[in-house]
Amino acid sequence: MADQLKPGSGPLDYGNRLWLKILFGVMYFMLYVPIITLIAFSFNTDKRGVVWRGFTLDNYAKAWNNSALIEAMTNSLMIAFIATIISTVIGAMVALMLWRFRFPFKGAYEAFMGLPIVIPEICMGVALLLFFNETGMMGAIVAMPWPLNLANIIIAHVAFCFPFVAIVVRSRLVGFNRQLEEASKDLGASEWQTFWKVIVPFMMPGLVAGALLAFTLSLDDFVITFFTSGPETVTFPVKVYSLVRRGVSPEINAASTVLIVITVMATILAMKLQAPEKSGKG
Amino acid sequence: MSHYQSKFKSTRRSLLKGTGAMIAGMTFMPRFSLAEEEKKLNLYNWDTYIGEHTLDDFNKATGIEVKMDLFADNDELFAKLKGGNPGYDVIVPTNDMLERMIKADMVIALDHAKIPNMANIDKPFQEAAFDPGRKHSIPYMWGTLGIGFRKSKIEGGVVDSWKILLDSDKYAGRISLLGDAQNVIGVTLKYLGYSFNSTDAAELKKVEDMLVAQKKNIKVFADDNGQDLLAAGEVDACQEWNGDIIQVMAEDQDINYAVPTEGSLVWQDTMAIPTGAPHPENAHAFLNFVLDAEAGKHIAETIKYATPNAAAKALMDKSYTENPSIFPSAEIVAKCEPSLYLGEEATKVRDEIWTRIQAA
Amino acid sequence: MDNWKDNKNVFWTLAAPGTFWLLVFFILPLGFLFVMSFSDKAMVNGEVSITDYDYLTGITNYIRSVDPLYLTIIWKSIWVSALATLLCLVTAYPIAFGICFASERWKPLLLLLVVLPFWINLLIRTYALIAVFRTQGYVNLTLGVLGLGPYDMLYNNFAVIFGLVYVYMPFMVLPLYATIERLDKSYLEASLDLGASQYTTFLKVTVPLTMPGIITGVILVFIPCLGSFLTPDLLGGANAIMIGNVIERQFKAANDWPFGAALSFMLMYATFAALMLRAFLAKRSAGVDV
Repeated sequence: MADQLKPGSGPLDYGNRLWLKILFGVMYFMLYVPIITLIAFSFNTDKRGVVWRGFTLDNYAKAWNNSALIEAMTNSLMIAFIATIISTVIGAMVALMLWRFRFPFKGAYEAFMGLPIVIPEICMGVALLLFFNETGMMGAIVAMPWPLNLANIIIAHVAFCFPFVAIVVRSRLVGFNRQLEEASKDLGASEWQTFWKVIVPFMMPGLVAGALLAFTLSLDDFVITFFTSGPETVTFPVKVYSLVRRGVSPEINAASTVLIVITVMATILAMKLQAPEKSGKG
Repeated sequence: MSHYQSKFKSTRRSLLKGTGAMIAGMTFMPRFSLAEEEKKLNLYNWDTYIGEHTLDDFNKATGIEVKMDLFADNDELFAKLKGGNPGYDVIVPTNDMLERMIKADMVIALDHAKIPNMANIDKPFQEAAFDPGRKHSIPYMWGTLGIGFRKSKIEGGVVDSWKILLDSDKYAGRISLLGDAQNVIGVTLKYLGYSFNSTDAAELKKVEDMLVAQKKNIKVFADDNGQDLLAAGEVDACQEWNGDIIQVMAEDQDINYAVPTEGSLVWQDTMAIPTGAPHPENAHAFLNFVLDAEAGKHIAETIKYATPNAAAKALMDKSYTENPSIFPSAEIVAKCEPSLYLGEEATKVRDEIWTRIQAA
Repeated sequence: MDNWKDNKNVFWTLAAPGTFWLLVFFILPLGFLFVMSFSDKAMVNGEVSITDYDYLTGITNYIRSVDPLYLTIIWKSIWVSALATLLCLVTAYPIAFGICFASERWKPLLLLLVVLPFWINLLIRTYALIAVFRTQGYVNLTLGVLGLGPYDMLYNNFAVIFGLVYVYMPFMVLPLYATIERLDKSYLEASLDLGASQYTTFLKVTVPLTMPGIITGVILVFIPCLGSFLTPDLLGGANAIMIGNVIERQFKAANDWPFGAALSFMLMYATFAALMLRAFLAKRSAGVDV
């Protein structure tokens, strides 16, 4: 397999090129300037966050004591977590199906899978609002105990996340050498074993990229969540949206900082747990 | 892909029409069959628009636990409730949106016997054109739309006309207008000497021409952050709500607020109970509590908008009751108009004008 | 590629969950809206109703949506999105390339670092962007020290494009990463060994081989850009309206859901036409199969 060729020294060792390193530095700097500003301002005493007035941890205390904000964050993380798992599994299955099989109306089917990506968010939000209301799912689910009352939102998030996973995983699968699969079967592995030992490891970078994309989409979605949430199921973006219309308070910056720290730790942990498997394929 | 759609058309259509009643029953029946309401209330409110400990006080007084959810603007409130009430008990729409919701049967008639504190309401607010007899709403706060400006950057340091925003290139690139059709078109009508609520095609055409011509001088149509632009020095004058400007005035002495002499909009936020509210009894208790003198005073102290609660106003000190940015003079108020709900056709006309202005 | 009939069980197992989910929780809801796009507000007692509709009354909404007014806005949205997508590709490619050629130890971290900013809420991020670029923001303060500026960097089309690039960056980086990662490096070595320059190798070998990722990225960025409304709203000036804003307004302030639905479907038809065209061209060149 390709990535077994370790990038050694020589013409392909792009990782050590100075110009690429500089370019990298500049890009990451651009990406992070606003974030650093945001984190810095979470320690600011100025209420409107326009000028720097002094260091404080009060904003964190305030955010911590704001039960509504904490609840919204918990909801968001819960939704993003579950929606990511479901959409990664479903998305990967669809990608495998599209990659492996030939079937009638395949082009139409692919277009159909692309729909959630194509449609304006607000349109999908309103469509789901109509749907949940007309089928009674809104009333029934919103009244359930936590976390079941998040089901509507999770369903909606999966619906727009998994096609993204599918498209990313599929573009990874295109380069798969089917001979590997055949070799595996020739050597006596069952279909199932071949799937787990050969195809899944090959898909892994696609799966990771797809899952990250799904998590990002779910965690950040405002429009669709707004239309599918009830009074008991407010998420962080919905909360933030109603709050910042009167200016971003440092409290929100503090909460965002906490959220980012939590998600980073969770991701690093997940990557650590997954590490032994990864080392196997180089 | 259209063949996918057409296959389902007939079933969907019947689904759309037929299941509504069944669903409504399924959703609300169990809740209404309870003899005693559970001690809960869902309030749907604007951000920073309630007293700091009002909800706790209410909980202490009645044992009802209030959960507050926030919306960013009236249109959001409307869009969310239009498909059906997902469980809110009390909402806080502005007068024209309330009028629309009354027409659409989206709010219930109040039982005045359960709100004795309605007697505390200031005389002029006891009656309302948009809600005759106050059948559906109580007044919550009121205020004006005007110009927030940076004194040191404006010639003479005072503003008394919409001209600097609508009909002058003196501050080109240093001014902002609100981002919604109704209020921008409305004040332009006022500036031209017409009614805020005009539906006359010729008058609206003049408004459109004026705004298209003025657009090159406008930095941005700011949805609801004109005060931030002003505070950050991005603009020198902006069209904004009095309450938003008052907030930044407290931090920056150089900022001031004025209602132009041509007149403007006077708005009133109301509290009402949406149709399908799961806890209507608690909702009535809450409306009554808000109109209480002490509770009303605490709310006014926190959010610093003008209260229509006479009993509460009587308890406030002069820095509040005599602040011209909060309570404009009777003379100015007389020139202002409330925004009316003009019907769906007029809304569409204004929306198209607004699109043309933005795309010009 | 197998025929689905050869292995029906596997085919149905793989196809069922996704198809079910999309049919029930997406196509069906969308059907409501599709019906809505052919509907009109009902007339009740001689007045246009606020909440009731007459279903399937005709194509008036579509006729209204091809008014030059809306076509101009759609056209403008298309070129703004196209520019943003192009810029996104140009910036994301080196990032994805760099990540793939970094050492194994750094790879996950670098990837995480690209995605991380996007776990901060879009609105908060956009406000942070405003704080950096406004007239009295940090960029201008820094330039001021050097004796330059201040420049008005916000509230124009440039700001909108920049904002879109910033917002949709991971949608480009992730698919690019997924394809460059699986790029067979021996092809590059072969090309270099045979005397091609780095530049030629990149254009003639690397880019064609990673085309599936490029196309995926372009689709994932271009389409959401086309429907975005928050970024033009917050970063754009008086001129910044995009079709997403008009659609959003139909569902909110204008309360004209049928027209909003019709505009959304128009946008979808346009995107579909583009995708079909791409599929057609791809088939003709018989090259990559995405």
